[in-house]
Formats: sequence, structure tokens, C-alpha cells
Amino acid sequence: MKRVLFALVLLASVAGCEVQGNLGVSAPKKQERPTVNVPAALRQSNWRGSQGQGSCVHATMISLFRWQYRLKTADYWRRTYGDGEYPEDLAARFNKEGIRYAYVTNGDVRFLEWACRTRRGCGITVMGGAHMVALVHLDDKWAAILDNNNVERFIWVPRETLIAEWKASYGWAVTPIYTPAAPLPQ
Amino acid sequence: MNKLLLCVLCLLAVFAAVVPCFADTVNGVLAEERVVNLPQDQGKWYVSVVGNTTDSRYNEIVGWFDTNASLKKLKNQVHFCPVTTNTAIYQARYASNVKALPTVRMQRSDGTVVYEAAGKNLPMTAAGLNGALAGAVNTAQGLRPILPWRREMERRCPSPGPNPQPNPNPNPPVDPEPQPIDDNGPPNVEPEPQADLPPWGLALLCVGGAIVGLSTGYGRKLYDKLHPRVK
Repeated sequence: MKRVLFALVLLASVAGCEVQGNLGVSAPKKQERPTVNVPAALRQSNWRGSQGQGSCVHATMISLFRWQYRLKTADYWRRTYGDGEYPEDLAARFNKEGIRYAYVTNGDVRFLEWACRTRRGCGITVMGGAHMVALVHLDDKWAAILDNNNVERFIWVPRETLIAEWKASYGWAVTPIYTPAAPLPQ
Repeated sequence: MNKLLLCVLCLLAVFAAVVPCFADTVNGVLAEERVVNLPQDQGKWYVSVVGNTTDSRYNEIVGWFDTNASLKKLKNQVHFCPVTTNTAIYQARYASNVKALPTVRMQRSDGTVVYEAAGKNLPMTAAGLNGALAGAVNTAQGLRPILPWRREMERRCPSPGPNPQPNPNPNPPVDPEPQPIDDNGPPNVEPEPQADLPPWGLALLCVGGAIVGLSTGYGRKLYDKLHPRVK
């Protein structure tokens, strides 16, 4: 009887080593909204360049540089570039400066989805191609943008409305590809 | 001769057609309408190292991610975020939720904190931090944790480290080297490799055991012979 008891105690103690943490289903996490939650201090306002034109493309890129921890690059970009921009010219500047980036000019929505899914965000054209804003959120129903003409708040619009506006504005989207800011702790 | 010329011309034509296809790639991204190689890294975890650039402890810990092989490997598997207190991103996203400085925090892609240590609770060595992160990853992924005896063994056998510890320049003039582009998900952190018993040691142990066993058996027989049982 003693032997049986001893064996049971031994078994129980060995089994104890294999107990794992509680891996049960936990409550769903509250996702950060917008996904690319650029803090106010990192948002770059639009400015007039040396030729008197708005610098919305550069302002958008600077906000995204800051969000992706390229703080020195952002400062450099602000000092060096300005005025209006075309997709090919911006690509040439990125190539010249050794910036890692990706862009589309064909209105492919998958690019927007990728940019928001990976928490990098992207610049998108609006207003018939006359202006660029940062796309900071895109889900099944909603999109959010950060307009460099008013960086105080995010603007939420229905997903389809945003996509229609973008496609009617040459469908240009562009983003640097670096490390996005870590999500807020859950 | 004509056939040879034809072959050479064909080769030249193929070469001329192929080269432009690769000419436009810059930094692994094709700078054209058709975008390729977009990193599908939404599942990557995050490691933030938060502190003050004037704090030698913070600089030491950030340096570990370049000097310690395991931490360097981890750095390339996650979104690595060294955050300093003089930045707006610290004020907006860290100041309200770190307990002390420096802080090392590991998060899943959804923000769930898997590991966090701050101030005096931070491990003393790079190997210790790697072990802590490895344990946290294993626990978070539901893997079997390292058993206590193994942990004790690891504690007794610290991996060699350079002395003095290299102290990277805390104020580099440009942004740090970007991390590699890949589609990685959760990291695979392995504890520091430990010195196991070598194969010859095991063989020696077996031979020794056999000799002891045989001699014990022979000794018992000899004892029985010299001291016959009383019947």
C-alpha cells in the first residue's frame, strides 16, 4: 500500500512539471484606431515651397517617416524638398536618397490594404489628384485620413467613398517601408 | 560557322531582353506600377527598448542587440524600436505606460505585451535578457517552458561576453540601418547554447558504469565464496 501511495505521489509530482499556462480563449483585444495612430507631435503640416506651391506630398511622407522611426530622414526631407510632386519625380528622389519605398499609380486597392495591414500607412491622392493625404486606417467599413492642411484630427469616411475618391484622383499611393511604431500596450 | 554566329546572336538577344527586367529594382522594390516584394510582415512582433540616451544602462542594453548573437538574431525577426525619451513618439506612446527606465517590452502584433521589464528588474546580462525573452515567447506560444533545473544550469554557465562592453554612439548622425524586409511572423528565440556532455564523455561514463557493475558482481561472488552461507 505504501508503495502504491509513493508511486502516486511521484506521478503527481512529475505530472506537475508538464502543466502549462492557461492558454484558454481570452477576451478579444481592443484594436488601436486608427491603425496608424500618428501622434499629434509627429504630424507634418503642409507648407509653401520655394516655388510657392503646396508641399502636400512631402508633408505626408514626413509624417510617415516619423511614424516609421526615420526621424533624421524626416528632418532632412523637410529641409531639402518642397512644392508639388509627380509620382515619377518622387520615386527618383527616393532612389537618389536611398529610401526604401513602394508605390502604385493604378488604383490597386490591395496596396492600401497592405499599407494599413502592416501599420505603415501611405500617402494617397484625393481631390482629382490635386492633393495628397495620409491614409491611416482601412477596414471593411471605414477609412481614416490625416490631412496635412488640418492635422488636428483624423477624418473618418466610409471605405467605398474613400476608394472612389482615390481612384478618381489617378490612384497614386506611396509609402516608405521601415519599422512602424509599436502598438499601444494591451 | 553560320550556326555559331546564329547561336551568339540568339544569346545576345536573350541577354538584351533579360537585363532591363532587373535594371529597375531599387532596394528590393520595383519602382514601377507593378509593385513586387511587399513585405507581408503584419504578424511580426515588436521589441521596444525605451530609455534616455544619456543613461549608460540604456545604451548598454541597446548595444546588446548588436553584440549578442542571439539578441541580434531576434532583432532581425521583429520590429525593433529603440525609443529615446527626447522624442515625441516617447511622449505620445510610452511616457504614460512605462513603469521605469530603461524598459524592454515585447509585444505581439496586436499590442499584447508578452514581456516587459524595467529599471532594476531588467536582467543584468545580454544572455539573461535573451533567456527572459525566449521564456516569454515560449509561454506566449504555449510551448513547454524551460524546466527549473535547466534554468539553474543556464544561470551557472553564462556565455562569454566582451569586456569592456562596446558602447555604441548614442547620437548617430543618421537614422540607424533599416531592418531587413521579410514576411516573418512571431519570432523564434532560442536560449543561449549550453555546453552539453560531449559524446566521448558519455562513452566514458558508460564504460565506467560497466566496470563498476562487473566488479561489484565479481566482488559479491568472491565474498560468497569466502563466506559460505550457513545452511
